[in-house]
Amino acid sequence: MTSPTTSISSARWETTSDPSNLAPLRKNIESFCLVHGLDQSGADNMGLCFNEAMANVTRHAYAGRIDQPVVIAITGSNVGVTLTIRDWGNGIDPGLETAKPKDPLIPGGLGLICMRELLDDARFDPQPDGMMLTMVRNKPGNSTASK
Amino acid sequence: MAHVKTTGTSLITSVRVDETLGAVIATLKGEIDLHNSPAVRTTLLELLAKHQPKKLVLNLSQVPYMDSSAIAVLVESLQRIRKFGGKIYLTDLQPRVKGLLEIARLNSIFGICKDEAEALAQ
Repeated sequence: MTSPTTSISSARWETTSDPSNLAPLRKNIESFCLVHGLDQSGADNMGLCFNEAMANVTRHAYAGRIDQPVVIAITGSNVGVTLTIRDWGNGIDPGLETAKPKDPLIPGGLGLICMRELLDDARFDPQPDGMMLTMVRNKPGNSTASK
Repeated sequence: MAHVKTTGTSLITSVRVDETLGAVIATLKGEIDLHNSPAVRTTLLELLAKHQPKKLVLNLSQVPYMDSSAIAVLVESLQRIRKFGGKIYLTDLQPRVKGLLEIARLNSIFGICKDEAEALAQ
């Protein structure tokens, strides 16, 4: 994991798709969320959705390759926290809008369900050379997330 | 009750076998994500193949966090143990783990117990 570039209300990490980066980055993101006005539940849920999104980047966008570039940026505002994950993988939109409750015994898709249920907004924006995922969790009182 | 030396991952800190109950009781420790869930998978599937228990009790009191890759390991283990008529019990769930199981709608598929004693009494 590379060192973050941090200002008062934003941070940015240039990292790789190696899963060993997951836990330390997630903890940094959860801490950022708490500092920037989310409650514990909101911070935990943003951390989980970040984890799931990064795992999807490694498994799907980069087909398991763990040395590929990923850039993460997070911003706090008076409304909430916005997190972006940029990859240069296959650029396939996983279809967040069509993620449905599934047979729990069939693996796959749980990360998308988490994003849909635990965030105020999540969207995949295909890029010419990859994908940009934007995730938003609002502060308590502004949040419409189900948990 | 026999204690078994574990292999494959330090996340599974102890394993006991109760042959009278046909149970394997494993204690896990640490956060489980895509980085370390493959090692947990290896150990759990080895335990199931070796002992073919009727009950696999997983004490998760020291697991504050898991992600969908860990959930997938639990589901695969459940499908494996069902082949010889067994069931998996998860005990001492911490809030984040309990929440993820609820989102995954697995809280009614695994046996969820407050502690090992309750799981073994089922």
